[in-house]
Amino acid sequence: MIPTVSPAPADADQAGSTTAAGASVPGGGKAAPTRLSRHRLLSSPGAVAGLLWLAVVVTASLTAPLWLPFKTEDQDFTAVLSGPTAAHWLGTDELGRDILSRIFAAAAGTLGTSMITVIVGVGLGTVLAMAAAGAGGRTEAVINRITEIMMSLPGTVIILAVIGAVGTNIPMVMAILGILMSAGIYRVILGQAKSLQSQLYVDAAKVDGVGPLGISVRHVLPGLANTIVVQAALIFAVGMLIQAGLAFIGFGPPIPQPSWGGMIQGASQHVYDAPWMMVPTGAVLALTVLSANAIGNALGKAPNAAAPHLPSAAARRQRARAVAAIAAAAPAPGDGAPGDAPKGTLSVRSLSVGVGNAGTGNGVRLVTDVSFDVEQGTVLGLVGESGCGKTMTALSLLGLLPSGVSVTGGQILWNGKNLAAATDKEMEGIRGRDIALISQEPMRALDPMFTVGYQLTATIRRLRGLGKAEARKEALALLEKVGIVDAPRILKTYPHQISGGMAQRVAIALALSGQPKLLVADEPTTALDVTVQAEILSLLRALVKDTGMSVVMVTHDLGVVADICDQVAVMYAGQVVENGKTQAILDNPRHPYTLALLAADPHANHGDAMPERLATIQGQVPQPKDWPSGCRFAARCQFAGSACTEPVPLLASGTGDGLVRCVKADQLAVEGMDWMATDVAAARLLPVTPVSPTNTTIVEKDLA
Amino acid sequence: MEVTMALFITKRLLMALATVLVVAVLAFLLVHAMPGSPGAVSLGAGASQEAIDEVNQRLGWNDPLPAQFITWLGSAVQGDLGVSLIDGRSVSTDLASRLPVTASLAAGATILSAVLGIALGVTAAVRGGVLDQAIGGFVGLLVALPAFWVGVIFVYLFAVQSSIFPATGYVPFDVSPQGWALSLALPVITLAVGGAAFIARQTRASMLEALQQEHIRTLRATATPTWKILYVHALRYASLPIVAGIALQFIGLFGGSVIAEQLFAMPGLGQAVQTSVSTHDAPAVQGVVVIATVVVVAVNLVLELATKFLDPKLRAS
Repeated sequence: MIPTVSPAPADADQAGSTTAAGASVPGGGKAAPTRLSRHRLLSSPGAVAGLLWLAVVVTASLTAPLWLPFKTEDQDFTAVLSGPTAAHWLGTDELGRDILSRIFAAAAGTLGTSMITVIVGVGLGTVLAMAAAGAGGRTEAVINRITEIMMSLPGTVIILAVIGAVGTNIPMVMAILGILMSAGIYRVILGQAKSLQSQLYVDAAKVDGVGPLGISVRHVLPGLANTIVVQAALIFAVGMLIQAGLAFIGFGPPIPQPSWGGMIQGASQHVYDAPWMMVPTGAVLALTVLSANAIGNALGKAPNAAAPHLPSAAARRQRARAVAAIAAAAPAPGDGAPGDAPKGTLSVRSLSVGVGNAGTGNGVRLVTDVSFDVEQGTVLGLVGESGCGKTMTALSLLGLLPSGVSVTGGQILWNGKNLAAATDKEMEGIRGRDIALISQEPMRALDPMFTVGYQLTATIRRLRGLGKAEARKEALALLEKVGIVDAPRILKTYPHQISGGMAQRVAIALALSGQPKLLVADEPTTALDVTVQAEILSLLRALVKDTGMSVVMVTHDLGVVADICDQVAVMYAGQVVENGKTQAILDNPRHPYTLALLAADPHANHGDAMPERLATIQGQVPQPKDWPSGCRFAARCQFAGSACTEPVPLLASGTGDGLVRCVKADQLAVEGMDWMATDVAAARLLPVTPVSPTNTTIVEKDLA
Repeated sequence: MEVTMALFITKRLLMALATVLVVAVLAFLLVHAMPGSPGAVSLGAGASQEAIDEVNQRLGWNDPLPAQFITWLGSAVQGDLGVSLIDGRSVSTDLASRLPVTASLAAGATILSAVLGIALGVTAAVRGGVLDQAIGGFVGLLVALPAFWVGVIFVYLFAVQSSIFPATGYVPFDVSPQGWALSLALPVITLAVGGAAFIARQTRASMLEALQQEHIRTLRATATPTWKILYVHALRYASLPIVAGIALQFIGLFGGSVIAEQLFAMPGLGQAVQTSVSTHDAPAVQGVVVIATVVVVAVNLVLELATKFLDPKLRAS
């Protein structure tokens, strides 16, 4: 067969964006530009083998006259149609010609002419894509149209018609094949070229007066390098197959010149009496195509493919084993008397979450030793910057940690039952019915392919065991409960047809459909407009009051905390650094990090007038691999001292039942220190003994 | 909505028409670039120059090109694609008898590829682990195997070693449905090998992308059973690129049937284009190119309508 004249989906990860004929993939298809990476190539055994094989074929073919045991036309009539012998390692054909010699004599031509297709196809495709991305507007539309037409041509038939016109001029035919294939390559490259064109540094270069050509060559082309090489490798493979296919049906190099396709054709005539002949040429052709594909696939692999939200069966089995290990390690505390714990309470005890599986313990830690309690009908806020482990903590409550991340220790006690040791089947009974989830991006949380009505009624029927009509009635009631006035209309819409605030209301209705006792809300207002945020918060507050459910609210917004939370746990770098009653913590923060967060919040400055300069927290939350053994905040703390290099326990903070993880908490409380805006902070710094090299640099920067 | 849909279809139809017209011009020019005038081709070697000139004159070969094209187009629109220079038969009649062969071949291979490809791709994505790697390796091998080589091996295995299927030939459906199915078996399987691999990759990638979507987490958070998440929600999300992949495969197989038809001696369009190119039979080449384009363009049109139907975002706009 002559393959489709369009690039085959190279590889799993790339295929998404290589989708055919203009079909749109909802939400997907944004190809992040990746740099050409030698590492990716060399870390794939297949690609290395492929490179070696191609090198062998090219070298062997170019040096063929020097070492080939026979000339391609030598006929050995004593060994016609022979299998492998000492004289003819790969056997002979019907005229007694040495197959090995003919394969390698033909290789240079096959590879060389396939390169013509690569150069023409990838070259033209790239130039068109860069032109379209650079010019945009009409030019892009015109090029799009032309390539659309090119892609809807029956490529094989046209190539054959070309052969009719120009004869079996193989370089010419391969060049025209390249032109036909350029349309598909254009499609693959265009998206990436456009995203590169819209980069800020390209805008900056434009302002600097760099011309369109300069932009394309200097700023866009380097970013496309990897894709270009991937496409080149794949087109090379397709080119070889097509060329061999043409030779097979008699449009190859003139006889007696050998070609792989022609040799297979010859062999096919003798499949009855000498089937061996099919093997060597077919194997060499397949190996060469395989090599080119392996190289393309290795380079085309997206470096950081997102983890699936539903892990594969293999990953689920692995996780089940890990959970069983946890269950075996930690005797369930509620086992003695399951009725002990009051209904609707959540107690998280020394929870650790990490990359890798429980028990192994050698993966990266994401959350360590986190404990908190949520009483029925109360709201707990998990606060902190991004990357502090809030979301991981929240998702672990539902057993919905991303693939590859798992609970590595501790307990999640829900009504006395340890959810950290629960099987997926058991969790399925808890999710939705006991503990529900609403997430940050309501639009992405709803299935774009189904109507709101379908998603809501299916969930209600499943979780509540209601019939169709009752479920619909309940869906309408729920939508009204979350403040949607034209519920019947909303039921008929698809998620993309409603606004973000409306979608979040729908998502809340969905979460409420199983009448849960605990709602886990992962930054439910972050992606929304300010006015809508306030509406959603007051809705949640009303729901807590009406239904008596409790909420774990993940947020980085202290305003949200002040607004709705009864209790707060401040998280930093995978730890709880301070927790307690909201009022106590906001009024009298004990941990420097809490102090800093409050000082940095324009709305939370003790009712004072807005300070002239808002405080900031220098630096960033350290990556889990960089967590020090001592206080994890020390490197960014204005009050850090030598005592901060020791591990810090979570101790009673003195205000109510609050806990704080800071060795200097008492000293700071006595001295009444404030977290200062950094340009004046230098004078107010406590005598600092640098705790780590990182700390020194930050302090120095602060002083500068 | 009715109006926008009508507008959409009209626009797409015009686009399709334009494509066919472009190809018709292209084919016309290509055919004129073929070596040998129609007279020389149809009379064969040894014909006198006067005789050749006479035939060329009668066929309008010496008229200006635009006039020739208009004449050809005029009769083509009425279903007359001219007569073969070799045997004098009507090209339209000949192609009409060949179309069902290629169509059965391409449709059969597409269906088989889709079934096998989706099964393999979904299994790889859903099961993961060792099975995923095994399927990945297998599929990678299938992609690299030239179909004509696979075809010969199949002939060797199923027709030579054990005569389960006939090695060559085509039995029309109305002659014997069973014979038709048997005669199609080997070519269809041959063509489906590469097609299934292509669709398996597309399916695996699309399924994985679907499973990375956040709404999958919402479904899990509401205790949706795993089978329903996989086979209702994720597969539905993945269906658009999979359908596109299948359509692309059909287009490829329609053209790619040349080799299968040659290998298995099937009297289809592919065989027609191969022989007419070899014999410089200009009207036949031109006819096949145009017919193949019409089919491909029609499939694309159906694909676009299917996509529009499958994607709620497009359906609504």
